[in-house]
Amino acid sequence: MTAAGVVTLLPFIALTLSAVVVMLAGTFHTSHRLTVGLTLGGLAWTLAMLPVTAARGGRQVTELLLLDDYTLFFIGLLVLTTAGVVLLSYGYLERRESHPHDYYTLLLLATLGGATLVASTHFASFFLGLEVLSVSLYTLIAYPRLHADFIEAGVKYLVLAAATAAFLLFGMALVYAELGTMSLNGFALLHVTGGGAADTSLLVGGFVLIIVGIGFKLGVVPFHMWTPDIYQGAPAPVTAFVATVSKGAMVALLLRYFRGVSLNPHDTVWIVFAAIAAASMIAGNLLALLQSNVKRLLAYSSIAHLGYILVAFLAVGRTAAVAVGFYLVAYFVTTLGAFGVVAELSGAERDADRIDDYRGLAARRPLLAATFALVLFSLAGIPLTVGFLGKFYVVNAGARSQLWWLLIVLVATSTIGLYYYTRIVVAMYVEQPQALPSAPRPARLGAIAGSRASDAVLIVVAGLVLFLGIYPAPLIRLLEHVVAGLP
Amino acid sequence: MSAVDWYLTLATGLFCIGAYGVLARRNVILIVMSLELMLNAVNIALVAFADFLPGAAGRGTFFALFIITLAAAEVTVGLAIVVANYRYSRSVQADEFSEMKG
Repeated sequence: MTAAGVVTLLPFIALTLSAVVVMLAGTFHTSHRLTVGLTLGGLAWTLAMLPVTAARGGRQVTELLLLDDYTLFFIGLLVLTTAGVVLLSYGYLERRESHPHDYYTLLLLATLGGATLVASTHFASFFLGLEVLSVSLYTLIAYPRLHADFIEAGVKYLVLAAATAAFLLFGMALVYAELGTMSLNGFALLHVTGGGAADTSLLVGGFVLIIVGIGFKLGVVPFHMWTPDIYQGAPAPVTAFVATVSKGAMVALLLRYFRGVSLNPHDTVWIVFAAIAAASMIAGNLLALLQSNVKRLLAYSSIAHLGYILVAFLAVGRTAAVAVGFYLVAYFVTTLGAFGVVAELSGAERDADRIDDYRGLAARRPLLAATFALVLFSLAGIPLTVGFLGKFYVVNAGARSQLWWLLIVLVATSTIGLYYYTRIVVAMYVEQPQALPSAPRPARLGAIAGSRASDAVLIVVAGLVLFLGIYPAPLIRLLEHVVAGLP
Repeated sequence: MSAVDWYLTLATGLFCIGAYGVLARRNVILIVMSLELMLNAVNIALVAFADFLPGAAGRGTFFALFIITLAAAEVTVGLAIVVANYRYSRSVQADEFSEMKG
């Protein structure tokens, strides 16, 4: 690797060094506040390095990583979301864990994994990014060792993620045997050129196994079984991270290398993806109806949202790629907001994940209730929110490619979605609180600062939901520029 | 069958045994061992392919090295979580992990 390559890799170096600094600081018994400050500083440093890299133009660094504007945009998105998660974690951990330094190290490493995934151009970097992300997440999910639920979720995620990673690897091995290359570009060309080479059974088998690995990370039907358990079992800020960064990084990779799928709607791979999209929208929305646990409800809703994203992914053209990007940003913002509210309401004993916990919230914490209502409406796709525009662009892209039956499923299942999102809003605004005392306001100094930090995140989220919902033009322009390099 | 097919058969067989173990075993430690079996089956396939493919020799081998490293990391974290759970439940049985449903 050349010196120029090192400069191009600055965002990655910044992330890695911050993780090391936070880890070392932890050995000196630094305060929680300082650790959070260092983590945020590291993330800010990473963000500041993005323009430096961007100024050098899209660059391939060794065979493994490509840092073009597309990569940098998604790294920026991941880093900003992680900053939000860090701020949410501050108050959440302040009420629980006494020495949460490793938590922030792991969060930074998981972000590094996500960034590697987005930048990867080779099976090796794809796998490395995926595993750095996954292994950090195993520990993050099981991190607050106070409750058996966390550990249960950690073990479940570990077994399923490791097993699907093995499927992915076996798929890669088969594709490698057939193509003789491990470059993702060679892989992407495969379905652009169509049939011909894809006839051999090894290649089809490899492709299917790789889809298993990707589908698991996205949490789409039929690989969604882990989603509700992990969402419920993991600490609320970590759930926000799993729902956004971990899924988003995979969507970015999918969009770059599997776009060719959309060109041929009679191809088996296209039909597989279409079936996955439809099944995710239907199963996600229907199963969400049955939930009385807010985190599980959001888990099923996220399955449905990934289904919507896949609809845009299957449509042809630049507008479809922009729609995927826009929907992803909308999904990131709203999901962060939703889990932010859950994290902020969670006490030291357990997470506030029962719908009953939200009864009469409007009277107790009006701002929190208003934010939650806003992000839920955005998830449901009510106009004036970013979620509505996201769906609008998806439907627009789908209609241009005449994916009528997928669009019918999308619209029909979105209507179901309206019901269960509204149920939480009704609980907050209409129903009376139960006899149980409202969560006591945190008394400790750190806890108050923590609350302020999450309030700040929620205010930014609410602002973005409305701003992007009313004036999306700047983001659309940015996305159009970013996806211009895609095939 | 050519020689590479034999390796592929061996790898597939080991992979399936591992997958069966993950599904059927009740002991978390045995599940982690089965995961190892799956990952190592991939290693066999990769190294065999790397040897038989013309021109691209070596690529598969270095990928196998990555897998060995990360498999070790995965097992370490996995066993740590199993130990953490053992402190709670005095058990390493996967059936214990059925609190959450729905």
